[in-house]
Amino acid sequence: MSAFRDLLGVAWTGLTARKVRTLLIMLGPIVGVAAMVGAVGLTESAKGDLKAKLAVLGTNLIIAQAGGTFGSQNPTFPDDAVHRAEAVSTVTSAAATAELASVVALPSQGGSDYYQAFPVPVRAADLTLPSVLEVPVINGRWLTESDIKLHTRSIVLGAGLAKQYAFLPGETRTIKLNDTDYGVVGVLGSVALDPDLDNAVFITQWAAEHDFATDGKPNKLYVRSVTGRTQETADAIPTAINLGGPDQVSTKVPSDVLQASAQADKTLQQTALFAGLLALSVGGLGIANVMSISVIQRSSEIGIRRAVGHSRSKIASQFLLESLFVGILGGLAGAALGVGIVYLVSSVAHWVVVVAYSRIPIWMTLALIVSVGAGLYPSIKAARLEPLETLRLG
Amino acid sequence: MSPTPAEPLLELEAVSRVYGEEVLVFALRDVSLQILPGDFMSIVGPSGSGKSTMLGLLGCLDLPTDGTVRIGGEDVSSLDDATRSRLRGDSIGFVFQQFHLIPHLSALGNVETALLYRHIRPAERRARAYAALDELGLGARAHHRPVQMSGGEQQRVALARAIVTEPLMILADEPTGALDSENSAHVLEIFDGLESPERAVVMVTHDPAVADTARRKVSMRDGRIVADERPQVAVS
Ligand SMILES: Nc1ncnc2c1ncn2[C@@H]1O[C@H](COP(=O)(O)OP(=O)(O)OP(=O)(O)O)[C@@H](O)[C@H]1O
Ligand SMILES: [Mg+2]
Repeated sequence: MSAFRDLLGVAWTGLTARKVRTLLIMLGPIVGVAAMVGAVGLTESAKGDLKAKLAVLGTNLIIAQAGGTFGSQNPTFPDDAVHRAEAVSTVTSAAATAELASVVALPSQGGSDYYQAFPVPVRAADLTLPSVLEVPVINGRWLTESDIKLHTRSIVLGAGLAKQYAFLPGETRTIKLNDTDYGVVGVLGSVALDPDLDNAVFITQWAAEHDFATDGKPNKLYVRSVTGRTQETADAIPTAINLGGPDQVSTKVPSDVLQASAQADKTLQQTALFAGLLALSVGGLGIANVMSISVIQRSSEIGIRRAVGHSRSKIASQFLLESLFVGILGGLAGAALGVGIVYLVSSVAHWVVVVAYSRIPIWMTLALIVSVGAGLYPSIKAARLEPLETLRLG
Repeated sequence: MSPTPAEPLLELEAVSRVYGEEVLVFALRDVSLQILPGDFMSIVGPSGSGKSTMLGLLGCLDLPTDGTVRIGGEDVSSLDDATRSRLRGDSIGFVFQQFHLIPHLSALGNVETALLYRHIRPAERRARAYAALDELGLGARAHHRPVQMSGGEQQRVALARAIVTEPLMILADEPTGALDSENSAHVLEIFDGLESPERAVVMVTHDPAVADTARRKVSMRDGRIVADERPQVAVS
């Protein structure tokens, strides 16, 4: 152990005695690792905002839409569709909405022609809808159990609609659904994964059945699955809901689109990674070359060390350890440089910084292997020198 | 003095050293020599007579093409490199004509080199190296690099490096060859001080005056020992 400590000292002194040369051969691992860290960091950071958004939204929301039998008007799910969906073991929660196609919402006096031409979708929604969507109620409250019990005519606005109507927080606002007045109790936050909901208004199932004589059958289901099992869950849901019946159920995973666009440009990334790898290999050749020359330049040092009793293997280890230090320090410096570049460019370009920290050790190990590999031949050459021949000449 | 003849520290037995593959150079031919504790030996001979070659074999920096080299009774050729290196480090101190200091290390660092890989704590290693330098009057130069020192000082650093391990044999190849007369005298004085009943000092030299101060004088010619004398009177 103490012999190893001696060896570390010798190798370290050998490197620090020639700082410029050492710095030059470190450039290979530095540039190589920096290029790889930078390549991945920059291409990922360019999509960092989308990634951050995805992280908030989750990738496990499934939307199931009733398709009905071919050609049927206003297809719906069975009453207990939520229950059936929740029976799928990978489903963690589900909520339904029913579109009330025949109801016309008049958010303000007058303009009824306009709203008939461009109807505001009215939806009967489950109480759990916001929690399944993982969207907060940004104003007031969502529909509650007491709305159903007390038969209140409460209505919640989609975020887009609230903006369009210039709804003010705390304001008393009435909306006419056909001829019935509904009081606005809250505004649902924007639903990035289903923007349709932003322009809708929501009432309870009770109100829908009571005021508009609907059958209470939902036509759209929002389902959350266990993370990582989204696609198989989406595949299982149609069968779970119609239990082999003739009705069609289509499912989609809305985050898929977002996920696709959040994908970093792989071609660019691979090109840059390849460039980093190339820099690393060229750097490796540089190390091998410079170290070989260095072994010749230091042949008298090698002879002296042999004369005072250092064995061939100690000489080889000394030079190998020097290249190991070059790999470690170069790799560290390269990683720091790469991360620095990612932060710098991201701050200029207003990107959300994404650094692949988990992959940095891999690249540093690569730099280390290249450096040590490059030092192998010079080290063996150093060990093989005949001490008497190196000492004979001045 | 023990009544029985002392075991030789070093022994060459019918040793030959041939260089080259196609054109053979016989640097040493069938040489036998015993070096005993207490020997203070000079080796003289014309250029190319094989003095340095013999010194290299004595210090097991080189191996014979024929014959046997023994250190403390062990056949050097039968040892692996690690064992041979340890043996060399433990029992032999080298001094060369061109000093051969490591340029990027201080005087202290150069002397410490001889104490590496011996399981000595750094503080102790440093202290011992410093003591060796101080003994040779170089305490104040401990942190200077070779280029910052005169030839005489550099050779004394090399001497400190040779003695810091307290070896039983000191092998010197023309240690004053690159020095002026004043520095030569100083270095030779140090060599004189190294003489002891346990230790052997072997010095290759061109200077007849230096050779005659030795108790034992080996003369070489064409790779052979032509004389091995023990002059009765040493000039002092
Ligand atoms: N590596 C080698 N390859 C070929 N011949 C060599 C080699 N080393 C030494 N010789 C030859 O061996 C012979 C003895 O050389 P050596 O260096 O021992 O002589 P020396 O007595 O020390 O001479 P000098 O006084 O000039 O230092 C010389 O003829 C030399 O040319
Ligand atoms: Mg010589």
